[in-house]
Amino acid sequence: MSSQHHPIKASSSRVNLMLQGAVIILPLSIAVVPWGILAGSLAVEAGLFNLQAQAVSAIVFAGSVQLVGMGLIKLGAGLSTLLLTTLFLTSRHLLYSATMRTRISHMPLHRRLILGFLLTDELFAVCSHQTRSEFNFWYAFGAGFSFYLIWQLASLTGILLGQNVPNLDQYGLDFAVAATFIAIVLPTIKKLSVLLTVIIALVLSVWFSLIGIEGGIIISSLIAMSFGYLIALVRKEPL
Amino acid sequence: MIWLTLLLMALVVFISRYLFLEPRLPIRLGPRVLHFLHYTSPAVLTAIWAPIVFHRDGQLAVTLDNPYFVAAIFAAILAITTRNILLTTVLSMVLFFVIR
Repeated sequence: MSSQHHPIKASSSRVNLMLQGAVIILPLSIAVVPWGILAGSLAVEAGLFNLQAQAVSAIVFAGSVQLVGMGLIKLGAGLSTLLLTTLFLTSRHLLYSATMRTRISHMPLHRRLILGFLLTDELFAVCSHQTRSEFNFWYAFGAGFSFYLIWQLASLTGILLGQNVPNLDQYGLDFAVAATFIAIVLPTIKKLSVLLTVIIALVLSVWFSLIGIEGGIIISSLIAMSFGYLIALVRKEPL
Repeated sequence: MIWLTLLLMALVVFISRYLFLEPRLPIRLGPRVLHFLHYTSPAVLTAIWAPIVFHRDGQLAVTLDNPYFVAAIFAAILAITTRNILLTTVLSMVLFFVIR
């Protein structure tokens, strides 16, 4: 499935690979624009200078952490509250880095640092289904860095607009996230354990979202993963 | 103070993204852990997209007048039949923006 699912030509040049990565992540880059604008605007609203507001996007580079974090700074929350909240919101990235360990940890330090820094939900999404041999630094870098640049531009827009941000939710750009993730996940369902993982994650995440549980994403994911793993053990599924 | 706060936030995020990419981290992910992590992508990505589609305007919206739901069904069919990420994404987004 991989070649059709993910047409990377081994002979491609670096630039070509980077462009392929940038193209595959493009719908997610577009979908993130409203969030970037909002993150920039909230940083200004929280009392940060423009340079600091841009620095948040440049060095933190994590949508949910920035949105919640700026709200906390505005409320005058303490440093420990801020950092614990950050840790909680960012905890799913630990799963991403563990999952990518076999594909990245053998690379030289600078490549590991770059890919680690760029390892957002979106980059993980477009790389996670690649096998170790399919995974390519330049492809991942093209995807991750193009996404980073768009996040910076969107944040800058939000900073310049300040409080005059238009109501961006109404355009439904978040559907692009759903469409892309559906396109990535569904073709990978080839075993009962994976199917059950998806169903459990779906039901639980929607339920947690409806009843307003913070951290519903990570909680429902861990429960779904445990079920998938146990089902595979019980059924003695091959890996 | 604000710079220190921002740096520490960035550090927490970066460490969580980088930690297991470090080969000197004295942890060997055994076959069981790797098998468990195999479910990260289907679980986490689904937990992100499902509430976008099914939780609209504060309630469960599994109806044909929810464009997110209709376009997601279309995306699911395209994903399974074509296995092409970009085609699935673009066509289902077109449908979404037409029907909403």
